[in-house]
Amino acid sequence: MQDNKLKFFLKQSWLIIAASFVFGALLAVTQGAWQPRIDANQIAKFNKLASSMIEDANDFQIPQQMAEFTVDMGKGKKLKTEVKLATNAATGETFGWAFIAVGSGFADKIKLVVTTDIKCEKILGYGVLFSNETPGFGDKIKRDDFKQQFVGAPVGQLTLTKIPKKEENKDKDRDKIVAITGATVSSKAVVEIFNNVIPQVKAELESKGLLK
Amino acid sequence: MADDNKIKPASVFMAGIWKENPVLILLLGMCPTLAVTAAVKPALTMGISATFVLLCSNIVVSLLRDLLKPHVRILMFTLTIATFVTIADLFLKAFMPDMSDELGPYIPLIIVNCIIICRAEACASKNGLKISIVDALGMGIGFTLTLCFLAAIREVLSTGNLFGKAVMPESFVPWAAMGMPVGAFVTLGLMLAGVTIILKKKS
Repeated sequence: MQDNKLKFFLKQSWLIIAASFVFGALLAVTQGAWQPRIDANQIAKFNKLASSMIEDANDFQIPQQMAEFTVDMGKGKKLKTEVKLATNAATGETFGWAFIAVGSGFADKIKLVVTTDIKCEKILGYGVLFSNETPGFGDKIKRDDFKQQFVGAPVGQLTLTKIPKKEENKDKDRDKIVAITGATVSSKAVVEIFNNVIPQVKAELESKGLLK
Repeated sequence: MADDNKIKPASVFMAGIWKENPVLILLLGMCPTLAVTAAVKPALTMGISATFVLLCSNIVVSLLRDLLKPHVRILMFTLTIATFVTIADLFLKAFMPDMSDELGPYIPLIIVNCIIICRAEACASKNGLKISIVDALGMGIGFTLTLCFLAAIREVLSTGNLFGKAVMPESFVPWAAMGMPVGAFVTLGLMLAGVTIILKKKS
């Protein structure tokens, strides 16, 4: 009886099983061949985004102490995160920290390049490394008017607001981020990434004695 | 379309370009048609990527058509299409990273593009390799040309440029709305109206 069931199953599904193996192998070979190039593109994009925020820096290296750093993403999940020291290769001068911060967006993961000053007290800005947010709405997190709100904000807990900031309170309300109209979920996701990842990076840098 | 010998490849090819144009006549693939046609470069990339997937999936489906049982047919189509879409996506990420970023989720979304599953079902699963290849090329090129034509109108009117180069006089005031979703709907609507008028006059 069991043999008959197995035979019936294989007879009905052998093509799908065989095709899955063939297509899986094809994808494995393709990814194996192109992944180094994709990784190199990612590094180049990281460096380009980070150096657009820290203009004098042109070299980004992970300090040895931060090689195995992981961020707690909640619910027991941990994610290995690259924290790089921004320096000028010619002068050896250090300017700040640049790292990848990841969190959940509306449609998919959002991957940001975040930069802070060398003491990790002030945010210098962020750039979007990867996002699949809704075009025309959530993808406005890539726009300068939203990104500019983070420049100069203190490292710590940022709050999301829907009420535009008054001109006279702009300095006082540096930790408040005004949400994008029609894209509150994506705006909240970016703020949550900052609130989750940056304090953990700062704590790790402090514990390793890397903050000057 | 059951017998390859009775079908002229040239008429199958031309059907994809005009008589059964996937966008203008069959009204398939509306999502990329409206979403990636703000400029010609992304529209051309999308068209070529969709043509590659269409060609590969038609070849595989045509070769396996005698083995496709009704209950695994759609599953096999999806598996085949998803594989080639992933390859196209990896190619863009590796060799055209800026374009891959610009197109965002629309390349992976080719998996659910109706044109590809429609041709697998209507043509490749019922015809030999030659007709399936010609059908894929006709439909793919028809799709690409329509996307590029729509994108060219929108790019010129919204920026005054074509392929990023200025083509309009300096006095031209760009119509910003043409670069927005409303521009896509209006231009496509006018194109469909034009095609309907031409077809009515012909008939």
